[in-house]
Amino acid sequence: MEKFLVIGERIHCISPVIRKALAERDPEPILKRAKEQIDAGADYVDVNIGPAERDGEELMTWAVQLIQSNFDNVPLALDTVNRKAIEAGLKAYNSEKGKAIINSADAGPRIDLFELAAQYDAKIIGLCAKEGIPRDNDERMAYCTEMLEKAMEVGMDPTDILFDPLFLVVKGMQEKQNEVLEAIRMITEMGLKTTGGLSNISNGAPKHIRPKMDAVFAAMAMQAGLSSAIINPCDKELMETIKTCDVIKGNILYADSYLEL
Amino acid sequence: MAFKMSVQGFKGKIGEVTIGTGYKAITLGGQNAVAFFEAEGEGANLPKVGLEILDIYPEEWIPSLQEIYKDVAQDPAQWAKFVEEKFNPDFICLRFMGADPNGLNKPVEECAQIAKAVAEAISLPLVIAGTNNHEKDAKLFEKVAAAVDGHNCLFLAATEDNYKAVGAAAGLAYQHKVGAESSVDINLAKQLNVLLGQLGVKNEDVVMNIGCAAAGYGFEYLVSTMDRIRLAALGQNDKTLQMPVITPVAFETWGVKESIAELEDAPEWGAREDRGIAMEVSTAASIITVGSDAVILRHPKSLETLRTFIGALV
Repeated sequence: MEKFLVIGERIHCISPVIRKALAERDPEPILKRAKEQIDAGADYVDVNIGPAERDGEELMTWAVQLIQSNFDNVPLALDTVNRKAIEAGLKAYNSEKGKAIINSADAGPRIDLFELAAQYDAKIIGLCAKEGIPRDNDERMAYCTEMLEKAMEVGMDPTDILFDPLFLVVKGMQEKQNEVLEAIRMITEMGLKTTGGLSNISNGAPKHIRPKMDAVFAAMAMQAGLSSAIINPCDKELMETIKTCDVIKGNILYADSYLEL
Repeated sequence: MAFKMSVQGFKGKIGEVTIGTGYKAITLGGQNAVAFFEAEGEGANLPKVGLEILDIYPEEWIPSLQEIYKDVAQDPAQWAKFVEEKFNPDFICLRFMGADPNGLNKPVEECAQIAKAVAEAISLPLVIAGTNNHEKDAKLFEKVAAAVDGHNCLFLAATEDNYKAVGAAAGLAYQHKVGAESSVDINLAKQLNVLLGQLGVKNEDVVMNIGCAAAGYGFEYLVSTMDRIRLAALGQNDKTLQMPVITPVAFETWGVKESIAELEDAPEWGAREDRGIAMEVSTAASIITVGSDAVILRHPKSLETLRTFIGALV
């Protein structure tokens, strides 16, 4: 198995600092967060610019070029519901260090993003959803299959799709957790890759217990086959858990200093 | 539909390390597939074959080797020159047997002069092997690295016990190449590379000696270790293992009973010299086949045989 792929989530327009920096085209806060995440071990940096309806194309182009030119063409996940902004980002993107990830398509109105992924040879996150949260795993797997068919139709390699089963909050949806883990297992058994916004599961929980919840969920999900996640790589407990799972699963070779790598 | 060959396609690539200077410098590594799988990769430099010489007269070597070297072996520089002119291996390995604290325990200053004289006498790349006493090697390499400054030598080796001293002297202060020695232990092999990296030694200045065993003496374990290291380096793109590998075959094979038993003690085994060469050749050929980038040999016949072997494989 390949090493777990870490997509750093901290460049997100929901953060006031980032929102302001994006609006004012101020490089410093964005570069700072990119660096923190890369230093902490992120393989990809997610760039969430929000819907950016007014200037999305220009904004995504600026952000992609800014981060890639400062960090040796680090691979990026382009995160917005604005299709034109994604396309502009893909045009500006340098894939020397890895294909771009489109974040994200679904089996509903955003299924046409698979065409964009094929056209620009990008990876894509496919949410196993159409409208809202899937009711059960039958629905999840149906959406997964629909997206897979679409991807094959446009000529994509199935391993370039990262299927997101939708992680659900524990506090309030406790009974759904096993089902999500089972979905990861089913998708993995089809030889496909998975990802998701891991910290969803600890939403609303007190701040000091969230790293523990995230880390344990990550370990259980990795045992079910989870191959990547969108996380905060600066969360040390979570990162050390992921590295240790990678060692136990044989995805990376053990050395006494493995946590420092 | 036409037949389409399925290709593994690795993500990682073994780095290239150059030893020596000038037109005889050699480059190890560079491959992006397991050994001799040309269909799946490219870029590998051919495995290199070196000959061993000592800093002292080779009293313990077989008589026929002593005979070849009898006029030159009193002086390591002359010996090295003779080896270069007569056998022209890819590199020469000068091994400091005489510095061993359990033997002659020669002072490191004297060793440094010998190393300097040898380096200046030849144009072949020079690999410098220590005593295997880690404490002595730390002091020895510090002096020797300074004495052969500019010759871009490879030092065998830094171990878990002395990597700081050896890495700092050979790898940082004088910009030679550092051998990282682990004794057939994949986790230690990786750890040592990580530690050298944290010390500041660049990956492209490190060659691994993952250990050696004579064929028949736990050799399968060595092979599986080599395989595992390469699969991690290439398949998992593990940067801490993407260094070329050198294997000091002669150091092991000439010490096993097949190579040391006298004819009268084992008449059914045939001549001692033939056995020694056979052990050396079979071990070296096998380890090259699983990907070792360089081997150190003792007998010129073994050198000749391995060259033919490598030529036939590629």
